[in-house]
Amino acid sequence: MSPLGIGLLIAVVTVVVLASGIPVAFGLVVVALGFLAVFDGVASLGILGELFFSGLADFTLVSIPMFIAMGAAIAASPAGGDLYGALDRWLYRVPGGLAISNLGACAIFAALSGSSPATCAAIGKMGIPEMRKRGYPDGLATGSIAAGGTLGILIPPSVTMIVYGISTGTSIGRLFIAGIIPGLMLTGLFGAWSMFHAWRDGFQATQERQQFNLREKLEQAARILPFLLIVLGILFVLYGGVATPSEAAGVGAMLCVVMVAVIYRMWNPRKLWKILSSSTRESVMIMMIIGAAALFSYTLSSLFITQSVAESIAALDINRWLLLGMVNVFLLVAGFFLPPVAVILMTAPILMPIVIQAGFDPYWFAVVLTINMEIGLITPPVGLNLYVIDGIAPDVGLPEILRGALPYVLLMILGIVLLCVFPQIATWLPDLLFGGT
Amino acid sequence: MDPFIRGVEALSRACGVLAALCLAAAAMVVCQMVLVRYVFGVATIWQTEFVTFAVVAATLIGSPYVLLTRGHVTVDLLPHYLSEAPRRWLALLASVCAWVACAVLAWTGWTYFHEAWTEGWVTESVWGPPLWIPLLPLPVGLGILTLQYTVDILCLVTGRPLGGGLDEPVAPPT
Repeated sequence: MSPLGIGLLIAVVTVVVLASGIPVAFGLVVVALGFLAVFDGVASLGILGELFFSGLADFTLVSIPMFIAMGAAIAASPAGGDLYGALDRWLYRVPGGLAISNLGACAIFAALSGSSPATCAAIGKMGIPEMRKRGYPDGLATGSIAAGGTLGILIPPSVTMIVYGISTGTSIGRLFIAGIIPGLMLTGLFGAWSMFHAWRDGFQATQERQQFNLREKLEQAARILPFLLIVLGILFVLYGGVATPSEAAGVGAMLCVVMVAVIYRMWNPRKLWKILSSSTRESVMIMMIIGAAALFSYTLSSLFITQSVAESIAALDINRWLLLGMVNVFLLVAGFFLPPVAVILMTAPILMPIVIQAGFDPYWFAVVLTINMEIGLITPPVGLNLYVIDGIAPDVGLPEILRGALPYVLLMILGIVLLCVFPQIATWLPDLLFGGT
Repeated sequence: MDPFIRGVEALSRACGVLAALCLAAAAMVVCQMVLVRYVFGVATIWQTEFVTFAVVAATLIGSPYVLLTRGHVTVDLLPHYLSEAPRRWLALLASVCAWVACAVLAWTGWTYFHEAWTEGWVTESVWGPPLWIPLLPLPVGLGILTLQYTVDILCLVTGRPLGGGLDEPVAPPT
């Protein structure tokens, strides 16, 4: 059997195995195990324990649990509500202003937490009931938060970007910086659509409300400021190359936990334990997938699949944009079914050489890939954000949430098109700060 | 059978606590390292390796707890379209496959650990602690994970509820 044939077989088997409902991490091990045993003999399995360990024993990976803990601390505090309230006090008179406050809150919270479902949950819990109370259509209320939440993996710091950086050997600091402008662009697009949607439905900021004075406008914002400063500090030390991502994340996590305890008086050991245990569960889940993906990609390269796929695609000699289109469709489909981290770990080692050979910037590609993954978060069957929203507003129903989210999916596709036409959106800032690649 | 199930579940919960402590230790040592290196300007010797291994240990030891609390992310595509009986059979099949995967990992992890132990290997750093110490979570964590999967399979076969009662909703994957 040719490597390409085996590759195709692995792809099919992986889809079937993962669809069975087996945890993604163990599913990847099962596939790796089966194919190694059949094609390389049972004796080749002896190395698996060592591979799993060495796949995990990487200092850069330490940043993942640290960023998760940072996000968990902020998500456990009322910071999401404060953020949202603060923005509302500034924007409540703009038509569709509440939706825009929510999107802005999502973008900022995304920066704080680095996690999409956490962003959805934190902002949605406050934002969705409030929007519905003020007469916003259900679809707009739920769809905008579902979409806004996806910004979590694009706007730095982002666990998804760290995983991309590790599996492709690219600079994590540079990846973070590359995500900033595209993240703001998507936020802007989402906001513009929300305003248009509100305006089209003849919806005004009808509610008579008291004026907020400057003090009131600043009060809630002040509580958020320390967290924003921590994130900016992290970006700054990463940009300056002063500290590694793991060091920055570790200190950031510790500072956030302390800040949460100080600002929101969460001294209670039970609450602190909750932050620790929820970050442990999420970290373990992601790290197990990382270890399993190490076995999976070892299998691919040991059976010469990685190399053959790259070679045969290079031999096709097709137009680079057609190639990118194909890669994009592939990522979109993969993102429909798999969590972003798993997609990146499984495909980045194969896609990276192809994309670079076609002359694309790896940091630009990271942004395009991440937006594809964002789309997967708000499309069925495993759109995690949809289920988070469904949990917050169960009476709206998934079909309506989905209808509300659809325009935002189209906006993200528009975002990808814009990035293709103007790659500078992703490359300008990193090139400016770090110099060209 | 129930005492066995309860025993393994208690073990998995204890693993969860241990894993959380490993992560907390890692976070504290990172901060200590940053302080020593950037504030006092002193070279650090053991911290990088300690932190790396603490996170690996947290991952391996925490995995049975995460399995117990249904925290390992899944793609429930096929089960979604199946009725109750075939869904249970599929869950059983998936669990048996996962059991095999975990058992092979635990076994190969054990042989790796054993080799490091008998050969007296040390890690590559200046600090150079015996390699078997960071490797220990490999057979232990994955061994308990295999036990937890055994319990899952027993529960599926005998129609007991899975997961020994969930204490919180499944963590959303990032």
